[in-house]
Amino acid sequence: MAQDEDEEDLSFNVEEVQNIVRDNIEFCLGGNTYSHSRVPQWITVITEKTLTRLNKLNKPFKYIMRITVTQKNGSGLHTAAAYFWDIATDGTCTVRWENKYMYCIINIWALSLQM
Amino acid sequence: MEKTDKSEITYEYTKRRKCFGRQTLFTDHGPELNVNIPPNSAMYKNYILRNPVNVSIQNTGTMSEHWVNSVRAEYTSSGVNHVEGGWPKDINTNDPEAAQRYRRKIEKDDAYIHAVMHLGHSMEHNILQNNAVDMYQIYYSELSSIPPVERSSCHTVNVYREPGSARRPIRSLSWQADGARLASAHADVNFMRCARSLQFSYIWDIENANAPELVITPPQPLLDLQYNPRDQHILVGGLMNGQVGCWDMRKGSETIALCPPHVAHRDLARNVLFINSKTCAEFFSASPDGVVKWWDIRNMNEPTDSMIIDAVRTNNDTQCVENALGISALEYEPTIPTRFMVGTETGLVIGGNRKGKTPLEKLPSKYEAHLGPVYALQRNPTFLKNFLTVGDWTARVWSEDCRESSILWTYPHRTKLTDGAWNPIRFSLLLVTQWDGCLSCWDLLRRRSAPIVTAQLCDEPLLRLRPHEGGLLVACGSSKGTIYLAELSQNLGTADKNDKQLLTHILERENKRERILEARMRELRLKMRQERDGAAHAPDDAARRDADLRDAAADYCLAVAELQARQHALPA
Repeated sequence: MAQDEDEEDLSFNVEEVQNIVRDNIEFCLGGNTYSHSRVPQWITVITEKTLTRLNKLNKPFKYIMRITVTQKNGSGLHTAAAYFWDIATDGTCTVRWENKYMYCIINIWALSLQM
Repeated sequence: MEKTDKSEITYEYTKRRKCFGRQTLFTDHGPELNVNIPPNSAMYKNYILRNPVNVSIQNTGTMSEHWVNSVRAEYTSSGVNHVEGGWPKDINTNDPEAAQRYRRKIEKDDAYIHAVMHLGHSMEHNILQNNAVDMYQIYYSELSSIPPVERSSCHTVNVYREPGSARRPIRSLSWQADGARLASAHADVNFMRCARSLQFSYIWDIENANAPELVITPPQPLLDLQYNPRDQHILVGGLMNGQVGCWDMRKGSETIALCPPHVAHRDLARNVLFINSKTCAEFFSASPDGVVKWWDIRNMNEPTDSMIIDAVRTNNDTQCVENALGISALEYEPTIPTRFMVGTETGLVIGGNRKGKTPLEKLPSKYEAHLGPVYALQRNPTFLKNFLTVGDWTARVWSEDCRESSILWTYPHRTKLTDGAWNPIRFSLLLVTQWDGCLSCWDLLRRRSAPIVTAQLCDEPLLRLRPHEGGLLVACGSSKGTIYLAELSQNLGTADKNDKQLLTHILERENKRERILEARMRELRLKMRQERDGAAHAPDDAARRDADLRDAAADYCLAVAELQARQHALPA
């Protein structure tokens, strides 16, 4: 059990991260309309908050975070990713959020520090 | 700015040295779709294409602006009062002794003498230069200024209109002795006019043009109203029915004395004039019935004297009223007490002598003046031998010696001339009023071919004229009962010191000319008579005529020689 707990602690918990990120997006973008001038501000806020919370998890990971905010004007968007990593320890998490005016896609990749 | 504000996120961990460099176990993890958002063409409708888009692009280097000004230097100008200077600090200049001591010390110095010699040289140059040319002299101050070009003018200063709606022609104007009041007599002589209302005459104060000062109410219209030159309150007037009356301004507008009708003139009393007498209460009157009567104010019941103006040829004929000539103008000069002149309706000017015993003595001189009645007759106040007559369309100046013709005359005007007078101050100035309402001034010293000033005072005919004794104002009366007070410009109202001489020359010259012409005419007439009669006349006549002519010829040659001598003398 202790090992499991250790393993729990050491592995990447997707849901937990998703929750963190979703909360942050909600807080920041909320019901706002897309505003080209305010987007950098929002991105900064989301990044800071999310990384701080992720850091607080105290897990031995390097985090990479990518945020995309797109205005909802009828265009399509496709993104894909491929990895060459250690499948056992590293993980990824994608959060898709939208409101009436914009989409927000956040990718978090966590790369474990070899202990 | 937000990036630098990031709080430090750190994660600390420890790792054993032996665990460094462990083999990594990487495997591929296939591409997985992250985001798949299909395009939604319905959303396009919410957006429009923005065209044009204004984008400003500048691809230059950035520059900054900065300005610098140097520190300004303040300048002021001030004079310096140089007093003796160069005193050293330790000597009190106010102390005469110390100053004296210092001075003596300096003077003993060698360099002192050399310095003074050196400075003296340049000072001498400046002083000599100053003495040669006076820098502060005003040039041309010793030259007299050129007399300015003479501009004459005449303009109306005041208009006195007859009160009421009546517009009766002015028959006479007279200034009070000191010149503050003007008396005007109005009378409409046209008998056919049915209005038999009283016609008044007025006394005006020249300052107040709104209303006359006093209204004179004669029983009949006044044809002439004259102030007493000695007593400024008494006036006499001649009425239309031949009577003469006397008024006193202090007593009001009614006559104080009126002569009875049976001793009055048989026709209207056209002219009255005061004469010089000890009592200053005597005047004489004339009328178109041809009789001149003398009156005394104190007793107006009968005239003191009367004279019939009938120019008879010899002493034996008596003068009778049937042949008398109607009088239209009367003249009297206070300095020549017993003589007077009358102008008749036939155009003759007859000189009269009150003290004459025989008819010839009573009317010694006769001049054929005009083609119509003589309207004005006045002696020149300075040159008593010359008098002015105005009649038909000309104004003429006569000399008493020349019987045949006037010595000076104006050109025939287009309009009738109604009255004329000499200016009392500028004695070469003639003032003449015309039927077209013009006042023209003729200056004998300036131009004799034309008047120097003509002023159109009004549209209706001007009938009477009387200059003020000051010489600058002239009162002109019109046929509508309005008096215009005109002012002449300064140069017309004053006389220069040379004027009297110059005018004397002119008049003498003209006189001489006329006399020579007269002599020639007489000669020609004599010759014609001789030829016609065939009889030889007394040679002494011829001798006399010849003598006259020889005199004239001699005078002329003398004058020419004189002129030539002067001309030759000039260049030499």
